[in-house]
Amino acid sequence: MTENENILIIDDEIQIRRLLEITLTAYNFNTCFAANGKEGLISAATHNPSLILLDLGLPDIDGHVLLLKLREWFTKSIIVLSVRNSEEDIIKALDNGANDYLTKPFRSGELVARIRASIRLNQEKKNDPLLEFGQLSIDMINHIVRKEGEIIKLTSTEFTLLALLAMNHGRVLTHQFILKEVWGYGYREQTQYLRVFIAQLRKKIENNPSIPVLLLTESGIGYRFGD
Amino acid sequence: MKGIFPERFQTDAHNSNLYHYLIAVFIIALTTFLCSPLSNQQSYHIVSFILLFVVALLAVFMGIGPVLLASTFSAIVWNYFFIPPYHTFSIEKTEDKFMFGSFFIIALLNGVLTNRIRRQEMLVREREDQTKALFQLTGELSKARGIDNVLELAKPIFRKHFNTELFFILQDGNNKISDSGRFVDKHNPSNLDLNIVQWVFNSSKKAGKYTDSNSEAALTYYPLTGTRLNPGVVAFDVDISVYGNKEAFWRTYFTQISNALEREFLGEMALRAGILDESDKLYKTLFNLISHEFRIPIATIMGASDTLLTSQTSERNKEELYNEIFKASARLNHLIENLLNMSRLESGKISLHPDWCDINDLINKVYKNLKQELDQYNFIIIIPDELPLVKLDFGLMEQALYNILLNSCQYSPVGSEIRFEASYREGDLLLQISDNGPGFPEQALPKVFNKFFRVEDSKAGGLGLGLSIVKGIVESHKGMTTVENLDSRGAKFSIIIPSEVPDINELKLE
Repeated sequence: MTENENILIIDDEIQIRRLLEITLTAYNFNTCFAANGKEGLISAATHNPSLILLDLGLPDIDGHVLLLKLREWFTKSIIVLSVRNSEEDIIKALDNGANDYLTKPFRSGELVARIRASIRLNQEKKNDPLLEFGQLSIDMINHIVRKEGEIIKLTSTEFTLLALLAMNHGRVLTHQFILKEVWGYGYREQTQYLRVFIAQLRKKIENNPSIPVLLLTESGIGYRFGD
Repeated sequence: MKGIFPERFQTDAHNSNLYHYLIAVFIIALTTFLCSPLSNQQSYHIVSFILLFVVALLAVFMGIGPVLLASTFSAIVWNYFFIPPYHTFSIEKTEDKFMFGSFFIIALLNGVLTNRIRRQEMLVREREDQTKALFQLTGELSKARGIDNVLELAKPIFRKHFNTELFFILQDGNNKISDSGRFVDKHNPSNLDLNIVQWVFNSSKKAGKYTDSNSEAALTYYPLTGTRLNPGVVAFDVDISVYGNKEAFWRTYFTQISNALEREFLGEMALRAGILDESDKLYKTLFNLISHEFRIPIATIMGASDTLLTSQTSERNKEELYNEIFKASARLNHLIENLLNMSRLESGKISLHPDWCDINDLINKVYKNLKQELDQYNFIIIIPDELPLVKLDFGLMEQALYNILLNSCQYSPVGSEIRFEASYREGDLLLQISDNGPGFPEQALPKVFNKFFRVEDSKAGGLGLGLSIVKGIVESHKGMTTVENLDSRGAKFSIIIPSEVPDINELKLE
């Protein structure tokens, strides 16, 4: 991946824009800015950025609405960057098509890691037959998971769950989304199954199941496959 | 008639004017007709007894008027139809004349006396009712909570006994009658005269309709007087003074209501004074804490960045200054988070999103956020394998555990043991965190979860909000937080939260 990716920052706070400009430039990203929703929509169309950092509290348009408008045509990554830290806001933003969500104040290291993960995810071919994360490899065609070369036995549901998270590595998937994808629409509220399966999977694939590095919990939101 | 009779029987009295007179006449006529076979020399005396009996019977059911009519009418028909010579009003024999005279007097006395007994009995029953009502009111008022409750209890009794509505105009809590305060009953009628109310309240004298002053008013106003303050004024539309036999009743009734209202007013005033005092104290504490707690990190940030901007410092010093800036801002962020969470918890704006949680997952998450601090200690996690999933708000409980563990880290000597234990028994999740710090001074234990409470001379900074947030979060889960000092050394926090366990269909686990 070449850095020098173009990042559009939609935020009305000049201090935050300055901070992001300095930080992202230091990590070799190009930046452009919009101070409100209208400008943001225009800039997204004219600059064609690889990623948008979107603030929810804009002076002219509600961030959630702007997110939906952008998602009508903008297929690249959008990361929401907001002071709103309620689970409702986060889940809503993810449901509306945000790839990730970071609350202010944030650590720049974390932000850059998320930006890289989002951009990479968007560029990767979706149907990669073999996913590899450190010692773990997932053969998507033959449904074989190996840890340090050894085959790990997984039930079919366990595999589906692992595959879903791994394909979206670096990205938060909400409980509802995972339940819908793995168990079906009728199971959206049955989080107890998700909890049980995550615990089982952690025992099978994590080196230390009590300090997971692959299957990460996002409090009250969902799970993220770390990489 | 009105005023002598309790109103329940007044309706009787009114109807008897027409209805009962007719019935009395009809019954006497009927009796006369039925007795017609006895119209002969031998048995006409028997008829007089039958008629006397019927009059006495009528006296049991009817008012004095119809009874008088019945006795007169029966005397006349007895004379006319039964005393020879028949079908005349003249009486032949002297003994019959005497007999007729005594019949007439006995019939009258009979009727009047029976009627009086009946009235007496009614009065006794009425008094009994009143006494019972007063007893009941006393009992209920002593249990009443709040002014509205007192009014609710008092109103129906007046309605029942005086057949009209009672209205309350209460003072505003500052010994004043105001025309819009919450103490003006919303059901009050529009013809209420607040000027008279004001006068009655100030002078503690009755006024309005049926009284000496302002008798042209639409309602009667009576003061409610107490020993320490006057709760207000009552208004009603009935001439209460004519309820002679009820005077003791309504006086006691008003006194009881006054007393109950006085009690509520005094209670409310005491409470308000307490709250004001408390909020004043809180405000001062908060102000002091915030000015102190916020200034220190701000001073650090300003000082460090100023040094970095203006002076030549070595790379090592620079890094340290950057580090200080980062730590200070993290501390500020933590303060703001705590203040926000506290106010959200207090305003009830935090809505609980309980979901199935794996306690392993929960504590891991907390550990990850507190790794830097906890890694300096011997942090032990004990969770039994069979611990079921429990229903909690993950984010909030994470915050609660974070606050307790942060507290333990701040006070325990580095390298000592901090222990987290979870268990589930009979519908309750029990989480315990124990440390080897100094514990809490005995007198501080009950206040540990109070807002802005800090143990005197405590080394760590903070607003004293962390543990009160824990309490708030746990209470929003209908749970309970306790703290105790360990015999050995250190403190032990326990959180008990009632939780169901999930119904997991084993088939779905394939």
